[in-house]
Amino acid sequence: MRRFALALSLAALSGLAVAQDDAPADPVAGETRVDRETGLPHWRKIHEVFSHSRCANCHVEDERPRWSGAHYGATRIHAFNVQRGGDGSGFGNPGQRCMTCHMETNSPRPHGPPGAPHWHLAPAEMVWWEKSSAEICAQIKDPERNGGRTLAEVADHVREDALVRWGWQPGAGREPAPGSAEETYEAILAWQAAGAPCPDQ
Amino acid sequence: MRLTVDRKQIEINADPDMPLLWALRDLAGVLGPKFGCGIAACGACTVLIDGQPVRSCVTPVGAVEGDVVTIEGLAEGDTLHPVQQAWLEEQVAQCGYCQAGQIMSAVALLEEIDDPTDADIDNAMGGNLCRCGTYPKIRAAIKKAAALKMARA
Amino acid sequence: MATLGKIARRTFLVGAAALAGGVAFGAWYVARPYANPLEEGLAEGEATFNPFLKIGSDDTITVIAPRAEMGQGISTTLAAFVAEELDVPLARLTVEHGPTSWAYYNGTMMEESGPFPWYEEGFVAELARDAFATVGKVLGLQATGGSASSRDGFVRMREAGAMARMMLVEAAAGRLDVARGELTTRDGAVVHEASGRSLTYGELALDAAKLSPPSRVTLKERGDWKLLGKPQMRVDMLPKVTGAPIFGVDVWLPEMLFGTVRMNPVFWQRTANVDLSAAQAVPGVVKIVPLQTTYGHGFGVIAQNTWAAFRAADLIEADWGAPAYPADAAAVDAVLTTALDTEQGSVMREDGDVEADFADAPRERLVEAEYAAPFLAHFCMEPMNATALYRDGKLEIWAPNQMPTLVEYLSGAAIGLGSKDVTAHTTFLGGGFGRREVDTTIYAALMAREVEGRPVKVIWSREEDVRHDTYRPAAKGRFRARLDEDGLPVALDMKIAAPSIIGSVMRRTFPSLSPAGPDGTITQGSHDQPYTIASYRVSGVKADLGIPVGFWRSVGNSFNGFFHECFMDEIAEAGGLDPVQLRRNLMGDFPAALAVVDRVAEMSDWASPATDGRAKGFAFTLSFGSWVAEVVEVVETDDGVRIEKVWIAVDVGTALDPGIIEAQLVSGAVFGLSSAMNQEITLKDGRVEQSNLHDFDAMRIHQCPEFEVAILENHHKMGGVGEIGTPPAVAALANAVSRLKGKRFRTLPLSKEVAFA
Repeated sequence: MRRFALALSLAALSGLAVAQDDAPADPVAGETRVDRETGLPHWRKIHEVFSHSRCANCHVEDERPRWSGAHYGATRIHAFNVQRGGDGSGFGNPGQRCMTCHMETNSPRPHGPPGAPHWHLAPAEMVWWEKSSAEICAQIKDPERNGGRTLAEVADHVREDALVRWGWQPGAGREPAPGSAEETYEAILAWQAAGAPCPDQ
Repeated sequence: MRLTVDRKQIEINADPDMPLLWALRDLAGVLGPKFGCGIAACGACTVLIDGQPVRSCVTPVGAVEGDVVTIEGLAEGDTLHPVQQAWLEEQVAQCGYCQAGQIMSAVALLEEIDDPTDADIDNAMGGNLCRCGTYPKIRAAIKKAAALKMARA
Repeated sequence: MATLGKIARRTFLVGAAALAGGVAFGAWYVARPYANPLEEGLAEGEATFNPFLKIGSDDTITVIAPRAEMGQGISTTLAAFVAEELDVPLARLTVEHGPTSWAYYNGTMMEESGPFPWYEEGFVAELARDAFATVGKVLGLQATGGSASSRDGFVRMREAGAMARMMLVEAAAGRLDVARGELTTRDGAVVHEASGRSLTYGELALDAAKLSPPSRVTLKERGDWKLLGKPQMRVDMLPKVTGAPIFGVDVWLPEMLFGTVRMNPVFWQRTANVDLSAAQAVPGVVKIVPLQTTYGHGFGVIAQNTWAAFRAADLIEADWGAPAYPADAAAVDAVLTTALDTEQGSVMREDGDVEADFADAPRERLVEAEYAAPFLAHFCMEPMNATALYRDGKLEIWAPNQMPTLVEYLSGAAIGLGSKDVTAHTTFLGGGFGRREVDTTIYAALMAREVEGRPVKVIWSREEDVRHDTYRPAAKGRFRARLDEDGLPVALDMKIAAPSIIGSVMRRTFPSLSPAGPDGTITQGSHDQPYTIASYRVSGVKADLGIPVGFWRSVGNSFNGFFHECFMDEIAEAGGLDPVQLRRNLMGDFPAALAVVDRVAEMSDWASPATDGRAKGFAFTLSFGSWVAEVVEVVETDDGVRIEKVWIAVDVGTALDPGIIEAQLVSGAVFGLSSAMNQEITLKDGRVEQSNLHDFDAMRIHQCPEFEVAILENHHKMGGVGEIGTPPAVAALANAVSRLKGKRFRTLPLSKEVAFA
């Protein structure tokens, strides 16, 4: 299966390694006046998506993705001792990669593994799991912690990336993230236009 | 549809959505990989594709590109793979049903880490369930296999 | 202690089961030896000496190990019995399960069916053991269970080897024209040291087998054993590390079709308003067959491959009906509670006068508690399956099964055939744990009949397997103790309510017979423990839940071990005694028990003071004739409680293969710990809620503790090993976690209240 080697190289290209590069200019400062009244409702929509289990379960600070949903009890640590991976890549460990079980498409079996290309954990600095709205907001605006992206690039990523888009097509038996990729893309742009205000909490 | 399984080319006529496991077992008669749960949660069906471990019960056969290696393709003639040899010497198996998958995961682990620690073993093998509780012997056998492999290299 | 009078008042369920089987098989010939099934089908140049041994002129020596190999290593130990007396290295043997035959009856499995604890050896107890063993023989019950296979084969199979060796020597004496006394045997040959001549067993076999078997054999003294008592390389290891097709799911026959089943999720219910159109439209589907059996109702799907069968089964639409039994956890609990409240139950142990002792017990000297354990699935790694071929009025079955004579009888009966027209082959079992009943083969037979002439391999999906198990019964117990001034119990009263396993098995296998009498499995592990307490009563209440229950590794001990040993800990706590010290005080009459308690305490450094965030728990259970004490150590971590180490001391009487015994003890403990940590089967609307590993997981390698096992041989009778590790592991873990958290946990699984790492 060539997809694994490919995925690792893609991951390297797509910004996982960008933190070491020169950070791009602050995507917000100096561009727009901040309009909290217009911007915060957009942020709330974005936050509903980012903090949803379909997204947050794999945006964790520690080494362990989470599981949640019907028949899983409360949200819990992914079984089988699945880990981010000793190399920090987010693709799992030798002998047990994320893609050992997660294929490019959802398993049709009930409770079978969901699938999308290059299944992996988000980098630890992109943490959403159990973070407040304010914390996620600060994170997503910080190029050091968002893969070196401008907000427009973040919006593109949400709309284009197959793994992100999976959040809205998670397969039978799983609650999808609210809205759609397109709506979230638009919300990010609208939020950016309003100066990308962050909530207090 | 053409697959390379255990160094042999095989031709099968399968629905591309059929899991590789059933294509191997029912269509190609390759019975080494076992059916345990059907949802990639027990590891009994583990095979290698281009050296990476994959749960064949959830891998659509149509998506397979690359060389498939099953437990049946590990030995070279009468010479067991070091992992199999270590399993034999440590007398790991009880019912044995999960062991094909355990061995494939261990092979994948040792391809990348020559001398795994206990943590490496835990990280690699957590997806392989054994109801007979052979875990202590699996751990010992992986360490022995690492030594055997280095000695052979 | 039980007296003849008390026994006479009881009729034992197992007696009814035996009667049913006896009538069914028509095998009522106690005295007559069964014919040797190997005589049919001998190859050219092959000779058989008895049902356990064939020798070919080419020196192939084949031993029949007629018990299901499900991982317990029985094929190795049984082969070693024959090899030991035959003077052949184990590696030289070909070991086979062999054909299905009454000749391979298991007498020992039934031996302990009476109401006597293992340590009671009075006249009546021994009489009962003989009687029940005879039942096993009379039934021709070829079965694997009760941790009895080694004990059962110990004499018979060594005699088989010894007898053949004598015949081979006699044949050699004739051939070499020397006295028998001048000959020895070594490595599969008869040797005449004086002349340096020798003949291999293969060269002698045909002649030797014609001689009449000796009327008396002398077995080797233990000191002369070369194989027994020492760890052997397992005979089944090579196929298991090379992926050989040895399991039921690996059966491969010409023209074979594949299949699965979709049974009604509501037990016993028939289906209505069935719509098979979507299922039938799945490419590759050959036929969908209604199944109406004593196990339940549903459909068999026959297809060109298993995947098509699975997909079609998912698409079957039907009105599955409503349950006629308690439909959820609360309803199950209500039935068990009512049973405890309103029924006296059967008294399975009665020492002293419990009622009198509690009548005037001062409040502060009383300890009272209620415990509960859930239904459990077996979750064998190899899902339920069977392959069947129906052709020319005959049925052939290949299946991982634990009782081939019963498989032949019941699978044949399901399609109107007698046993003589049915042949069952026993494959290796990918786990058994008591689950391998006859539903799989009955369904396969019904399906095979619909595609006459073509074999069908029927594999259940994991979801079907979990939702149509024969579950470990849910059980509830009420316990009270009266302590004396030293904190020791002077009176102990235990009452346990659970569905009857025997009754449930009978409903599925011989439904026309209504089982009566107490079921000893309900209190097994509570009424038969080696504690001396002046007043000691244990009663069992049959609470029929109507949910299929069956044998689950260690049977009643699996929950009674937990109840009994956790309550013992509560007594120790209330009386201010160390849990191990309490046991020592009460086990004085039982040196085998004391020895394992002391050994495990020493191994685990029990006496050393506990440190923060760490705790040890102790438990003891005598089951299947073996005395087992375990200590479990747990530690608090950021991710939850971690089981770090387990110490086990076991007395098996005679340790035939210490390597296999240690592996079995660890295996049994892991099985028990898995259940105690996380597992439960619950119902909603009468349907099992769990379906696969996401909601019924078991211990994984990263959760597995370190083990240390000590094997003792103090007791004069040999015990079993396959199940005995399980009961004390459950209780010792619960005791450890209770100590760690400073709170008593009385309900399983512990994950209801405690997170495990």
